[in-house]
Amino acid sequence: MKPSTFQGIKLVLRKELMTGLRFRAAWAAMLMFSFTSLVCISFALGGTSAEPKLFAALLWILLFFSSLAGSDRVFSDEEAEGTLMALRVYAPSQAVLFGKMLYEFFVLTVITVLLLPLFIVFLGVETKEILLLLCTVGAGLWGISAAGTLLSALIVGAGVRSGLFSVLMLPVILPVFLPAIRLTEAAFGGTVVSLSFFGGIVLYDMILSVAASILFDYLWYAE
Amino acid sequence: MKFVLGACIVILTVMVAGAVFFVVPPAEGLGNLVRIAFLHIPAAWVSVIAFFMSAWWAAAYLRRGNIRDDARSFSSARLGFVFTLLATVSGAVFSKLTWGAYWNWDPRQTTILVLLLIYGAYLTLRAAMEEYNRRARVSAVYSLFSFLTVPFLVFIVPRLFFSLHPTPVLNGSGSVDMDPVMLVTLFAAAADATLIYIWLLLKSSRKEEKI
Repeated sequence: MKPSTFQGIKLVLRKELMTGLRFRAAWAAMLMFSFTSLVCISFALGGTSAEPKLFAALLWILLFFSSLAGSDRVFSDEEAEGTLMALRVYAPSQAVLFGKMLYEFFVLTVITVLLLPLFIVFLGVETKEILLLLCTVGAGLWGISAAGTLLSALIVGAGVRSGLFSVLMLPVILPVFLPAIRLTEAAFGGTVVSLSFFGGIVLYDMILSVAASILFDYLWYAE
Repeated sequence: MKFVLGACIVILTVMVAGAVFFVVPPAEGLGNLVRIAFLHIPAAWVSVIAFFMSAWWAAAYLRRGNIRDDARSFSSARLGFVFTLLATVSGAVFSKLTWGAYWNWDPRQTTILVLLLIYGAYLTLRAAMEEYNRRARVSAVYSLFSFLTVPFLVFIVPRLFFSLHPTPVLNGSGSVDMDPVMLVTLFAAAADATLIYIWLLLKSSRKEEKI
């Protein structure tokens, strides 16, 4: 018997957390990738001061590429281990989608919590509006998780996977990135922008989540 | 039908080309450079039409599972990619000749670039999928998912970037601010580009269906 959607989400999330804890190498790879990218940026700038706009853009590029290091494997790992069929049999489609989306959000949040203070320290960024920065990052990660989970389900069965995920992800996530960079710039003491940008990101995140929910069934039940 | 459409396209193309080079007067402030607009605007128009139609047939494929809808969605996206490239290149040349730079992140340049990225991503995804049913399904899903960016491109991007782009033919007040000869030629060029798109679409989607 299949559990209810809410129960299913909890079970899928729990399964993802347990699997994630078992494969510590994947976490280590993601964290080291993020840290190495940050060090590269810091080396390249060489301690020189830059405009808040540049820092904001660098932060979002860093978060985007860090998310790419893990997001593309959300469904591919299941396919490689042959567990996709078991998930199809025992869990409702929406529970699988939202369970994996929440796990993705959790992973990105952990990476960001570790990365953001290091970014501020290494690059000497002055943060004027910490609450605005945290809210913007939270809303941005929501969008990345929602889009990333659906796109990860799309690339299952693709002959070429290397680079495909980032190619698909960037155009869809740009509506989150561009306003997020403006808001982050404001948080770093740059030009003050309207808070409607934040509203725009949250609205787009909601649209992405609803669309992912509708479209996921076409992928899940088609096999 | 195909012959009539082909004949209409040839006649219209010759008329539009004649009007663009011999009838349309130089524009105030832009001079003869305005003639680029008669390639650029119709190409941009068809890029957007092709994007809408590709998403429309993608939705139809997901609803009915008919391979004809998938073939049309794919053909429309492929043509849209070519027209978007044309619009981007002609726009960049116009930008260089009038503003001194090929690219300056104008809202419309940003919009067309995002459209180009979406088309590129769609075609890459399709090329990466080997099994037919899976390829048709995932590309239909991506086509609809990427369609969500449209409200952002229309409402948010113009607020994010400063624009040097000339005002649209139909401006914010609802009035048309253009020389009548230019306006008629522009509408004829847009109709011509739309007919070329329909002709190529019919040809290409039939070929895709056979494959």
